[in-house]
Amino acid sequence: MTVPAESSGDLPEAAVRRFAEGAFTSGLTVPDFAACLQMGLEPVGFTQGYCVMQWQWYGMSPMGGGFGYQWGGVRGYSETFNCPHGFVSQEHRSWGQNYEQSWLEDAWTSGFTTAYDRMLDEAEAAGAHGIVGVVDTSAPLADMGVVEFRVQGTAVRVIDGPPPLDGRPWSTYLAGQRLAKLVEAGFAPVSIAATVASVGVWANCVTQYQTEGSASMYRTGNPGEEIIQTVKAQTVARRLATERIRSQLGPDSLHGASLSTTRRELGEGDSAVECILRGNRVRRFKDFDPMPAPRPTVRLL
Amino acid sequence: MSDTSDELPEELPQDLPEGASKRLAELEHGLFTSDLSVNEFLLIKEVGFHPVGFVMGSSIYHTGIQTRKWGQSQELTKLTEAMYNARELAMTRMEEEALELGADGVVGVRLDVNYYEWGKDAAEFIAVGTAVKAENGVSHRNKLGKPFTSDLSGQDFWTLMQTGHIPQGLVMGTCVYHIAHRGLGATLGSAGQNVELPNFTQALYEARELAMTRMQDEATELGASGIVGVRLEEKSHQWGSHTIEFLSLGTAVVKTSDDVTLPKPTTIISLDN
Repeated sequence: MTVPAESSGDLPEAAVRRFAEGAFTSGLTVPDFAACLQMGLEPVGFTQGYCVMQWQWYGMSPMGGGFGYQWGGVRGYSETFNCPHGFVSQEHRSWGQNYEQSWLEDAWTSGFTTAYDRMLDEAEAAGAHGIVGVVDTSAPLADMGVVEFRVQGTAVRVIDGPPPLDGRPWSTYLAGQRLAKLVEAGFAPVSIAATVASVGVWANCVTQYQTEGSASMYRTGNPGEEIIQTVKAQTVARRLATERIRSQLGPDSLHGASLSTTRRELGEGDSAVECILRGNRVRRFKDFDPMPAPRPTVRLL
Repeated sequence: MSDTSDELPEELPQDLPEGASKRLAELEHGLFTSDLSVNEFLLIKEVGFHPVGFVMGSSIYHTGIQTRKWGQSQELTKLTEAMYNARELAMTRMEEEALELGADGVVGVRLDVNYYEWGKDAAEFIAVGTAVKAENGVSHRNKLGKPFTSDLSGQDFWTLMQTGHIPQGLVMGTCVYHIAHRGLGATLGSAGQNVELPNFTQALYEARELAMTRMQDEATELGASGIVGVRLEEKSHQWGSHTIEFLSLGTAVVKTSDDVTLPKPTTIISLDN
């Protein structure tokens, strides 16, 4: 890959060529585009960053049948759930465990951060001050046990404004009027923030029966009972994601946080809970100046 | 058929079907068709345009096949060209219909690809939209003298005009790329580690950048100052999961005035549910 010396070394050649051309590109919708112009933001270019990661569950597949080996080793949260029945049998899982899947968290963080940094590199190469309307996605690629992380956004320059203090462009998931309202309220965007927490559930006998719903002599109590092990995994995953994002924020605040949780069935009551927390890291730059009283409206639609 | 074709101006394109000429000739007598919603219609009238007719173009294209190397990531240039030319043909035919109506532009353009059971490796590319014409008679055609095209809705068209920009054309770039299969050695070599696979990252990155550069080239040709609403679409069509088309689409715009005439936003409370 040959890249002109003055540009950022990590960008593909095609990206450098693209930015050398004249016209700006923007992934903004027209209303967002208009709102940006109105706030004094000028689009510079559509910027993107990608990272393809190898992605393996390591013996956690339904075929693999449960708690296999992990090359990375377990780090962080783990909790054992013992069988309350007091005997051991062949068809009976006498113990279960919740454990943090730190190797998946590391892979996610590494994929996301690399793609994000590449997007910032593109924006910096284009001389942008910030990136608005960021969208990040990840998806498996061509059934090969690989996952691609994608981060895209529209790089903007603040008309007659100063470049960012530390040289790196700021970024935000917001665009258009939503961003305008944030600035109006006295906050400036710093960066997007995203963390992940992943907790695996290796079910013990109780959890297994409860999730399978099978009538069995081992079943405990009434059918409306809480499935403690799963609840614990869900709670811990959310808590870990929240704690992690808090540790990233420093003196800033998180705006518009959204927590998305997916639960993957791995068979026999076993599952994995993945929790992704996204939000906009924002910093107060002026005191709140109350906005004019809202006017009630009805749409003629 | 023969009586209407006499009325058509001479410089008209010759490759439109007869049915189209008849339909468009009827439209010239004042009736218009459009797929605009009522709000879109009103907003387009508000900025001084009048819909003149629903226009379309289509092309059934045999995209063929191209040999791919199992273990190599590469652009499939023949397929790229086919996908590009087919869309270009559909768009050009739509533009010709608009031209026949004396339109200045086409708004709300949608590009679709359909596959039929009767045509193996063939696909139908369709472009449809509503042709519009300025009411004051001033031409808004683009630098190439053709009606502008854009995938903007009526609302977007109105908003864009208020920011001092005028659409020039729906621009696109495409790149069909084959993603290498991983050999057994490579798979085993990185087994047990969740690491970046730089070859794959680079291949996909390159493919998207190529598509976007091609789109930008089209915009430059139109003398555009920018492209709004860029979308990157990825589809495997009928080639299997390892061959992906990266399509980049957007509306090229040109700045005509520095005035942003949008009213200052006010905070509202919506009384809708």
